[in-house]
Amino acid sequence: MEKIKVFLSSRPKLLSEVIRNLIEHQPDMVVVGEVLDPLQLLSAARQTLVNAVIITPLRANGEPKICHQLLAEHPRLKIVTLSAKGEAAYLYQSGVPRFCIDEPSGQSILNAIRQVLH
Amino acid sequence: MKESVSVFIVDDNRLLREGLVSMLAEQENFVVVGAAASGRKALEKIKELRPEVALIDIGMPDKDGIEVTQALYQDMPEVKVIILGMPDLTDEIMACIEAGAVGYVLKEASFDYLVETIRSAQRGETFCSPRMAASLFSRVAELSGEQIPQSSVRLTPREVQIINQVADGLSNKEIAQKLSIELQTVKNHIHNILDKLQLHNRLEAVQYARERKLLKKK
Repeated sequence: MEKIKVFLSSRPKLLSEVIRNLIEHQPDMVVVGEVLDPLQLLSAARQTLVNAVIITPLRANGEPKICHQLLAEHPRLKIVTLSAKGEAAYLYQSGVPRFCIDEPSGQSILNAIRQVLH
Repeated sequence: MKESVSVFIVDDNRLLREGLVSMLAEQENFVVVGAAASGRKALEKIKELRPEVALIDIGMPDKDGIEVTQALYQDMPEVKVIILGMPDLTDEIMACIEAGAVGYVLKEASFDYLVETIRSAQRGETFCSPRMAASLFSRVAELSGEQIPQSSVRLTPREVQIINQVADGLSNKEIAQKLSIELQTVKNHIHNILDKLQLHNRLEAVQYARERKLLKKK
């Protein structure tokens, strides 16, 4: 089975390492790259084959422009955004309203990625 | 052989909290005895579990990291507190140290740095980044040049921090947002400040702080 390729753009570093560790412990997922600035995701996603992107931090209720830009270029991409304080996560997919995960745990984020990709 | 160290983690960010529990538990000779999402709950559990090291997020909804550290330092000074902070602010670091913390780790630091800091705390040492050391040296130099008038009333570091925000013209709501604490907590701090100093309003509190050189230099 082909692994789900996950790209990270998460801050702060400690949270980023926690997310990387979480993904690397999954037999069906692999981290294929990481950038510090979400804006770098646009060029990164053009160069690397990616199935899912995890971005943090973004405003809890904001409508992150970067998600729409990424989905416009890569309609099959799944994007999970995490708010800075971790109170919510949002799943973005092309053509579907964003889905909110309240007080996300590692498991709920993994489930969200798997549900849409399997 | 390294001695085992018992750790308790306090952070309202569930993903980070659970992730740190899992990653620290994988470290050799680390025992994560528990975790909590709020300051109040943390105090209850730490009293019960008595860990050697408590890793505490600075900004939490009910009781912030500095308040929890003060309470722990008073009741259980044997528990070594390491604060997990977001901004690299000298004032914030100083407030944590004055509250009794033995370490301050930015969430921008690496996990390995956090592990080293916990190990140092266990040995009774402080593991300090060069950047943080520079901040502390500069602050000590600054304080040594100031004549701070003595007063029978002592404000806590958090209260001084809040007066500084009031002096900057911030509303209670803005202060709450900036310090990542509840609006009611800000109101309580301001009420306590006015009560302690026997003052009637925020303006008088700022004037008091200015006269005693408690306001940050701009």
